[in-house]
Amino acid sequence: MTTLGNKRASYALLTLPSVFIYALVIVFPVVFSFVLGFTEWSGFGAPVFTGLSNYRKMLTDLVFLHGLRNNMLIVAVSVFGQIPFGFVLAYIIYRGLVKWGDFFQTMIFLPITVSAIVVAKLWNQFFSPAGMVTAIARILQDDPRFVFAIFEDRALAIVPVLVVILWYYTGIYMVIFLANMQKISPAVIEAAIVDGAKERQILFRVVMPQMTNILFTTAVFAIAGSLKSFDLIFAMTGGGPANYTTVIAIYMYLNTFKYYNYGFGSAVSIMIVILSLGLITLIQSVYRYFEAKYE
Amino acid sequence: MSDITLKNKELVGWRIASYIFMAIFTLLTVGPLFWLTYSSFKPHADIMQQTFAFPRAFFFGNYTRAWEIGKLGGLILNSIFYSFFGTIITVYLALGAGYGFAKFGYRVSNWFYAFFIMGLLITAHSVLVPLFVMETRLNIDDTRLGVLIPYVGFGLPFMIYLATSYIKGIPSSLEEAALIDGAGYLQIFWRIIRPVCQPVTATMLIFAFLSNWNEFVFVFVLTSRQEIRSLPVGVNAFVGGLSRDFGLLFAALVIATIPMILFYIFFRDQLMKGFAAGSLKE
Repeated sequence: MTTLGNKRASYALLTLPSVFIYALVIVFPVVFSFVLGFTEWSGFGAPVFTGLSNYRKMLTDLVFLHGLRNNMLIVAVSVFGQIPFGFVLAYIIYRGLVKWGDFFQTMIFLPITVSAIVVAKLWNQFFSPAGMVTAIARILQDDPRFVFAIFEDRALAIVPVLVVILWYYTGIYMVIFLANMQKISPAVIEAAIVDGAKERQILFRVVMPQMTNILFTTAVFAIAGSLKSFDLIFAMTGGGPANYTTVIAIYMYLNTFKYYNYGFGSAVSIMIVILSLGLITLIQSVYRYFEAKYE
Repeated sequence: MSDITLKNKELVGWRIASYIFMAIFTLLTVGPLFWLTYSSFKPHADIMQQTFAFPRAFFFGNYTRAWEIGKLGGLILNSIFYSFFGTIITVYLALGAGYGFAKFGYRVSNWFYAFFIMGLLITAHSVLVPLFVMETRLNIDDTRLGVLIPYVGFGLPFMIYLATSYIKGIPSSLEEAALIDGAGYLQIFWRIIRPVCQPVTATMLIFAFLSNWNEFVFVFVLTSRQEIRSLPVGVNAFVGGLSRDFGLLFAALVIATIPMILFYIFFRDQLMKGFAAGSLKE
């Protein structure tokens, strides 16, 4: 009996501090956000219940919709840019197609260690009218008065952000794919080579099929990460000019901490959670569909 | 014979394509950082006029001025404080919880564990408003404690995932033998589980340290005093408030980056393991 009591007390001591902090910082605030999302509240007095009006307002706000569009472009760059590039880089290193694979790996992963704020400020210089891109374009076009002003175009202003996202995070996908490729039994590859398989066949027939579930897992990471993107864009453009580069997280931040619409801001943050859950469910059902079809 | 030469030809094509791809990718990745570093030794005017040129002489003025104006020394100390304590607390809490979830066999563990895993989907922004309100009410807004608690809370889900899956793989015989010898559970945690977990602990510590070091939004929203802000937030404010002097800006960015580059040089493999860990099926 004492050992049983001892076991329970030990369990509580080991797990409850984590559970408590987690409940305090994540569970309770998420529930709180969910409730606040149905109210109007500026931080003072009591919140006023307004039903779904925050969600209605959000979905008819052109700024929100533009932010959503930008978020979807970031998802697209992650899924169709970072993942394929990361895969190819990992494959080249895994198969030893280049010497000094270790060196290349180290260099390509390097940006991950740099803070998003530093990355943002550095690339800001590149894309600013007095920056690197302007300087390069002046040389290429032989026009010393050319000024690069992509941020003035509502549709294209997000492009520099997409470039930076591709530059910044591809290394993560490379490392993930490489770690998973290294788990493939070397005997399988050797057997394929002995059987006279060409490199193309090793890639598509041996390695790729073993990577399908990882491809889907990384797609889930990419979606969750893309919808969270805040720091980088916030420090790069702050969503500007004129909300051209805004994303949902920045839209939420501005509404909450600049315009003090706590209720509305909460509704937007709940929307982020709903969107990521929705997209991830979609990806998973696509995966199940393919799995059922090919097995 | 002809078969082998054909195969080699094919492989040569692959190799050439691979070298070109790798070289371009690496150049584009490292180029901007390299340019940032050498440009930080040039005065603003030189950066504007000869964008690509190496510095004619190494000009350290940017560094001394950026260090003074940005009060970067204090920011670095704050970052070290948050990252160090945030990391230690998160990792040891997660190891304890991981042991509880993996080995005690209580049904409630599954619930707790599922709860933590769901946390991986929650973004910091979803909780900023309530967190801000709560901290104001508890009078811990704008304090170091008020920053540290969310750091730990948001670090826990992934750390608990890593710890639990690792501890599940430890054979129970070790533990059972100790129990028979009369050891308590907490003793087992400290004397057996913790040492056996050393490899995963290293990965956890290093991964958590990097995330905490680069964390931005909590310090940004939950603090307003310059004296307790961290390096990323300080650098962001410093850059925003400054007249566009690229020399100063670049020096500040390099100073903010050096600690993590050193960290990367020492702990590269552990760091990569941390990033890959979420996707590996054991």
